[in-house]
Amino acid sequence: MEIRVLILNADPVFQDRALVVFDRLNLQTEIVRTFAEAIVALLAENFDAFAIEGEPQAAMEQATNARQHFPSLPIVCLCTRPHRGDVALLAEQQKIALVSYARTTRGLRRRIERFVRSIDTEGAPHAEGVDPCHSLVGNLNQFSAAEILQMSCLSQRSGRFIFKSRRGNSEIYLQHGSVRHAVFGSLEGESAVAEVFRWRQGRFYFEEGVISQVQTVDRPWAHLLIENLQKLDETLDLVSL
Amino acid sequence: MRSQKLETSLRLLTLQLESWKKLHDLVTYGLDKEKPIISSEQERQFTETRANLLQETEYIFRQLNILDGLSGKAMNVLQRTVSVRGLRDLTGEDVRRLEMEWNAVFTKLGTIQGQLKARRKQLAGQTVIAYYLGRLFRWPAIAA
Repeated sequence: MEIRVLILNADPVFQDRALVVFDRLNLQTEIVRTFAEAIVALLAENFDAFAIEGEPQAAMEQATNARQHFPSLPIVCLCTRPHRGDVALLAEQQKIALVSYARTTRGLRRRIERFVRSIDTEGAPHAEGVDPCHSLVGNLNQFSAAEILQMSCLSQRSGRFIFKSRRGNSEIYLQHGSVRHAVFGSLEGESAVAEVFRWRQGRFYFEEGVISQVQTVDRPWAHLLIENLQKLDETLDLVSL
Repeated sequence: MRSQKLETSLRLLTLQLESWKKLHDLVTYGLDKEKPIISSEQERQFTETRANLLQETEYIFRQLNILDGLSGKAMNVLQRTVSVRGLRDLTGEDVRRLEMEWNAVFTKLGTIQGQLKARRKQLAGQTVIAYYLGRLFRWPAIAA
């Protein structure tokens, strides 16, 4: 499957060293000029990675901001100048890849290719089928994850929700109307729940009675719901910046 | 096979078309008398789009070899559209001319984009060897 990369570059016509490299790679790319446009595009969930090209400080600031709202998204900062140590430290903390312009285009290409190779698109669903053990199946574009989790928690359900989108698969385990465990890729617990809250495309399946031995979420559902809806509002606020 | 030059041209053209579309959306809004409120955010977006077009148009048109035919029309559009609010003061004749010139630029760019995409599709089905062999055998014969 072709990897889709969203590129944020304020001056994509004249400051295009990394864009020239992206042109050579077999990728599907879309270029936006502002952070607000990038958020709109990322909310539509059509991208496997997010690249920000610009000055190290400014690019890292935008990348950190994006990381708060898209915890599992692979993000790379393409710095037009060599970056300082504090920028590298912040990048490591926020799990953001950092690529400085190499002296040669070949060097830059090698660094970008390394990032592209690290993008995992294996998690995306390939096959789809209704299993008789699924007691509830539906589309996320009709019912959001928040709505169906709210409904299931109110009716004191126990079981496993599987959410499948182009971003990958996530599992959320309920026990007597509370979220007990959530996992999405390398994320676990509340951050995995937060990720699923943003999904607007994909499918969900509920299997009654599947209980998780692991407990990674210990807050009541109502708290999670309010906090994540608030976070979603904050993400949407970025669009109007 | 993937051509670097073709991909770069397509990227530049796509960016340029996006800016022309944004400009058109704001011009259409400005000319719509039923929408009396023009926000400062819309004016800001308009100025930004216009600024991008002003600095990039000539460079991109030169890269695509369409500078001679299109540059004048594009500049006319950009000079006539001063602000969203200012559009409402244009006469009927000016608005008609503005729409015609915008359409000429947009049509030409859209056509070239289609041609480049068709070329990309054609190249995607070829290997590098097949491409160069094809070029070699299509070479015109020179009469002795």
